[in-house]
Amino acid sequence: MAQQKLLLPRPFEVIMQRHEREIMRYLLRVSGDREDAADLFQETWLRAYRAYPGLEPQSEVRPWLYAIATNLCRNRFRDRARWAAVVVPDREELPAADMIGKNHRFDHENEGYAAVHVRELISDLPTRQREALHLRYFAGLGYGEIATAMDCTEDNARANVSQAVKKIKAKW
Amino acid sequence: MVKLMKVETLLGSIGNEVGSEAVEELLRRTRGRVDKALKHIRRPQAAVGIVKSPLGDLLVAMSAGGVLLNSYLRGASDLEATIQKLRLAFDPIEDQRTVREVGAEIRRYLAGDAKALRQKVDLSLVGTPFQKKVLDKLQSVPRGALISYQALGAALQAANSARAVGNALHDNPIPIYVPCHRVISSDGRIGGYAGGAARKLQLLRSEGFELNTAQARIPDSVVWGHKGSKIYCRRDCRTAAHVDRAQILFFADPRQAEGAGMRPCKICRPG
Repeated sequence: MAQQKLLLPRPFEVIMQRHEREIMRYLLRVSGDREDAADLFQETWLRAYRAYPGLEPQSEVRPWLYAIATNLCRNRFRDRARWAAVVVPDREELPAADMIGKNHRFDHENEGYAAVHVRELISDLPTRQREALHLRYFAGLGYGEIATAMDCTEDNARANVSQAVKKIKAKW
Repeated sequence: MVKLMKVETLLGSIGNEVGSEAVEELLRRTRGRVDKALKHIRRPQAAVGIVKSPLGDLLVAMSAGGVLLNSYLRGASDLEATIQKLRLAFDPIEDQRTVREVGAEIRRYLAGDAKALRQKVDLSLVGTPFQKKVLDKLQSVPRGALISYQALGAALQAANSARAVGNALHDNPIPIYVPCHRVISSDGRIGGYAGGAARKLQLLRSEGFELNTAQARIPDSVVWGHKGSKIYCRRDCRTAAHVDRAQILFFADPRQAEGAGMRPCKICRPG
């Protein structure tokens, strides 16, 4: 028998060291809130650790991590929307009011407004399109990686992103 | 068009005003929390490596409690599947130095050093309670003795469980250390072995049984002993016809049988 090579998956610590920065940045950008990002960050790594044995050694870690982070964001903001809908009936104003002054310091008032406005438009997108857009623009994933993370085809990922951008442009 | 371009640029810039220092600061604040939470769900570590032995390459894994895995390597997919299974309960760390001792012990053992296998075994990877019971019991069958699948089942108070015993042994994660090679058919056939019959013969030869490479049955020099009466007999003793096979152990020679506290039969006068 030929000499067997031992191909162990990377230790989880190495994965964490390698990806913690980008995951934190992604969560910050998606949630727009430090406390939310910190909570989601912890949840993401706990969930990733639990699921790590199920990840085959040759599969890609990065889209897998983003998939976990994205799922957690979806759950959190779904719950939050439900909560907000009960407590604050006037949802129109909510996202904008929520964002201003919290984490978004802009030199330009106009630019600041634009960012808030775009965030609002993003939050109105259908879930899949919004998530594809997050992964493309906030995480900087390629379409192949988005497809892996969202468990769809590459064409599908591309379509979701372009639909999302088109909708935002239309309402701009 | 200018306006349209801006949307993409804007998308790329949203949230990006959070500087690297802010991310670092948040990481510093959060890391301790994450580590603490991870500690509660940590799987124990296992040192993993491949060792060479006269029986071929072995995948060895060791926990703090002892040898977890000592598996004959049959191919790349087999190796991968075994590691996947290990990962469900342990975090594998490649550590050839820790596992090397297992290879050295197996080499010495096959060369005839009866006390070479010193490592403890950790049965954490054994699937079912029944399987655990089978492997536990099996460890009381000493070098130089053999037991049948049937007798091993009977020793567990599980009558007619020879096949279940065979299945449990087939999935033994720690062959050699947990001596599943010492289990044979009750009629004297050597039987199968998950690592291949040739390895079973090689192991049994090193334990004092006179077996050639393609032999399918235990040799005539083997004696059998009754666990209840503590009497041992030649293979052709006439009492064999009506003895309860579940109570029988086989020994390489009379000396081994007497070592296990048995006396020779007065009818067939073995040895």
